[in-house]
Amino acid sequence: MGLCFSSFAQTSPIDTPASIDYPGLLETFEKLIQVDTARLKKKTELLTKTGKNLSDAKTVTNIDLEPDFLNSLILHSDPGYLRVAGQGKCRMADVIITDLLRTADGRVKNVIITYVNKDNVRETSVLSKRDFLTKVVSVECPESMKMIDEMSLKNLDATIKKVNFELPTGEEQCHSIHIGWLNDPRTPYLCQIHEYISEANSNAGDPNDLAQRKALARVLSGKMSATNREYLANICSHLDEEKLFCQDFLYVSFWNKVANGQASRIYAEEICKKALKTTTLSEPQLRECLARMKKESDICLYPAKKAGLVPQMECDLLSAALNYSSFRSDYSDDPATSDQLGVTNMGRIVLNINKTPVRPFEGPPSVISAAETFNFNDGFDNTEKWQIEACYDNMVTNLEVCQQTVIGKYLGLRQSYTNVVEDILKRTRGAEQNISCGMTSELEYNPLLLKYKSGCHIVYNPETCQISNCPHKIIYNDRAITHIRIKSNMSMDYFPLNIPSERTSQHYLLANDFRRGARSMGNLSAIITFFKKNRKGVIHGVGCAEELLPSFFKVRAMNQCSPVPFIIDGMIKNEDKTVLVTRTALDSLQAPRLISWSNVFSSVKSYQLLHPMRLWTMYGMD
Amino acid sequence: MGWISLLFLAAVSLAETKVKGPEKLLTKHAVDAIRYIDGDGRVAYIRKRPGVLGIVSSFRSEEFVTDAPQSDFLVIGSSYKRKVIVEVIKNQHTVFNVMRSNKLMMFNWGETKGKDIGFGMATRLHMADEWITYYQPEKRSIIVKNLITEKDFTVKLNPKANPFFIPDVTMVSSDLIVYTDINDQGLASVISYQMRTGKTEVVYKSSQTGTRMELCQQDNYLAIGEFPYEGVNRGSKILQMPVMSSFNLGGFTTLYESTEQDIGNIICLDDSIYFIKTMNQSPELGLKTTDAVKLVLKNSQIIQRTNMGNVSQLINMDGRVLLPSRGSFYVLEGEYNLSSETLKNPTSREEKL
Repeated sequence: MGLCFSSFAQTSPIDTPASIDYPGLLETFEKLIQVDTARLKKKTELLTKTGKNLSDAKTVTNIDLEPDFLNSLILHSDPGYLRVAGQGKCRMADVIITDLLRTADGRVKNVIITYVNKDNVRETSVLSKRDFLTKVVSVECPESMKMIDEMSLKNLDATIKKVNFELPTGEEQCHSIHIGWLNDPRTPYLCQIHEYISEANSNAGDPNDLAQRKALARVLSGKMSATNREYLANICSHLDEEKLFCQDFLYVSFWNKVANGQASRIYAEEICKKALKTTTLSEPQLRECLARMKKESDICLYPAKKAGLVPQMECDLLSAALNYSSFRSDYSDDPATSDQLGVTNMGRIVLNINKTPVRPFEGPPSVISAAETFNFNDGFDNTEKWQIEACYDNMVTNLEVCQQTVIGKYLGLRQSYTNVVEDILKRTRGAEQNISCGMTSELEYNPLLLKYKSGCHIVYNPETCQISNCPHKIIYNDRAITHIRIKSNMSMDYFPLNIPSERTSQHYLLANDFRRGARSMGNLSAIITFFKKNRKGVIHGVGCAEELLPSFFKVRAMNQCSPVPFIIDGMIKNEDKTVLVTRTALDSLQAPRLISWSNVFSSVKSYQLLHPMRLWTMYGMD
Repeated sequence: MGWISLLFLAAVSLAETKVKGPEKLLTKHAVDAIRYIDGDGRVAYIRKRPGVLGIVSSFRSEEFVTDAPQSDFLVIGSSYKRKVIVEVIKNQHTVFNVMRSNKLMMFNWGETKGKDIGFGMATRLHMADEWITYYQPEKRSIIVKNLITEKDFTVKLNPKANPFFIPDVTMVSSDLIVYTDINDQGLASVISYQMRTGKTEVVYKSSQTGTRMELCQQDNYLAIGEFPYEGVNRGSKILQMPVMSSFNLGGFTTLYESTEQDIGNIICLDDSIYFIKTMNQSPELGLKTTDAVKLVLKNSQIIQRTNMGNVSQLINMDGRVLLPSRGSFYVLEGEYNLSSETLKNPTSREEKL
């Protein structure tokens, strides 16, 4: 037994009535539709009167859609849903039972099928949609029955939760996502929801039951976020037009995505605070600003908080870069407070991989990168080179005692400076066991306030406090503590600098111990291939800032190179031109730059010539 | 400040359409080891091995600065050849920090005994090597120091500007420096600072955000370049200002103006200014084709000097204009072949050594 309507080939061409002439192409199509309408009507009437009744699909073979019925579906249905139907016999059944296809009579009420009976004679039968479902689909496509159950109202929440409304960040990725939706058995059922809601909201269909349909549409709408509903509308409307589907994500302003909730507001917050001269940003203010960002490209240059290299790119270029980027940027790590750009880059990579939430912190935002990088190295017993230590003199032994530390407070990190200071105060000043130190900005600290009269406060300058150097004072119970000092001689091998210590380099840990792989990116073809294979792949490297960002950093002497780590997580190809979506460790996470391959290559090449091992320092990670 | 805008803009046209590629710098040393080489190639400062800086001349080769193996060096000289400044960059490959203060050492030209003069970056020699300026990023301060009297002055920059801003500084007289700054709105400006009185004055201020100023100076003029940062759609401009007397900066003339987003990196010579010009641009991606050009001062003519398409930096080293590119150095002005085996006559100063 087999149901063979996966092919749309017309097995029996429509006979042209003699009375029809063909004066033009358009009219021919109109005539074709007229013929189809007439034939289908006639055939349905005839079969309803005289046709056989299919009692059990198990007793017949070669079940097929009747050619005239199939022709009618092809002529009257949305090409996108036809494309889904073309994915297989069960997809065809799915799109029929989900009311996505149309015949000359509109929505499919009856299905005309042909089959070979037990006497080996081909017969034609008309089935109501319900009979088609129970007698044919349940036998031929058990998966569809399962899907119907999953899409029932009681199971819909759980089913929708499993759907991946993945936002593409590149053409290749978008292509794969589109194919994925075409092949997904849930697509017809999800599109049915979309069509149902659209029809009810536009007051279309039978006015008698409009009120009920509207009520159900509201229930269905509530099952999905507005963003996912828009996503669904996009895919259901563009199942046969991949370009249009992708256009919504890749070529529409990124600021639209922020406005409709597809992208986080963090990307626009600091820009809008500056543009609107405000310190807080309400939802209407954000919308007003996002509208301005599409027209006034300048307002993105200088955000309120200069957390990274400024000026950032203009809004349209920034939007293009963000459209093609999927790197984790839901927090701010403030590279302006980083004197260890390698740590900043590593922190970003680690958080992008492990996806864990950024823990509550106090002190400069660079503590996030520092703590995550320290934790990462701690996991591989590789913190020997983390030479930032809080030290004091032990009066009994007359020896200096030092403890490794990360400047700031990061929840759950034992080495947080606040924890280390607490520990030292317990040992040296007999502080209570429940002592709790906090990081307090100089701008907030007011010794006259009661809350600063007791307890432990580490007062730092937010402008100058960095990862390995943070001028500060410790106030314990209203008295300055002067016997604790920070010793900093941190040096971290980002890429290996020699063979013996290769295993301690960050790149080695990532590539081998952390199993992220390491593919050398020595030419543009390698990068293009890498992003084709790894939709969410990340390339990291180190290059000379003077070549990477020549308008920011000027060469003043021969072989001058200021190494700066960077991350590339996307590329934009426009005819023969390619730019890479790059976040140098100087850039704010929310403001990547479009940098040409030529600049990236030159910067890595120049650094290679100064590297002790002449190492090429740009690799792709899975 | 009143200034005169003498706008005699010459039609900016590329004088040469077919460009002969510049010659590669040829020396007896590996170019990646050279830290400074003088105009005729007699004296070169070489990184001899990790952490060791040496001087090589016709008659000797001597190591004179030794630091940790991870350290690298920048050598800053001038055409007066009286002093050189060595910036010792510690932990070049293990601490990535573009705004670090390096140890600064001063040596008499050709000599190997020097002394520490402070910590900073972006060092420059001025006024026949009698003065030095450098920048201390952690204090956002420019230090102006007399190398003979060791008297120094501190000029504070705008505290809330770009955290990665590095100022350009030049000295037009022994009492007057001119430097670039940027305010918290992103407006760049050129400011003069009189050391005797501590008085500052805005010489030139940009009318738009997103640009940066550059300075270079030749004997009788000061050039100001205004160029956009990457990813910012602004035009470019080069102004020339005669240096009239010790305390007076004359009005400026606009030598070059373009709607293109040039990179800049201007270098002043007697009769021309070199800079990096954008030849082609794809605005939707921000992609640029850039080449080195020569702006002739007497007629504002632009002469294209390279046809590489990806030029990003220029260096002026004792009057030789060098173009660094992917580990090679191309010579745009000055002698390129310094690999001759012919022993040159020693100069009187070399004989003394």
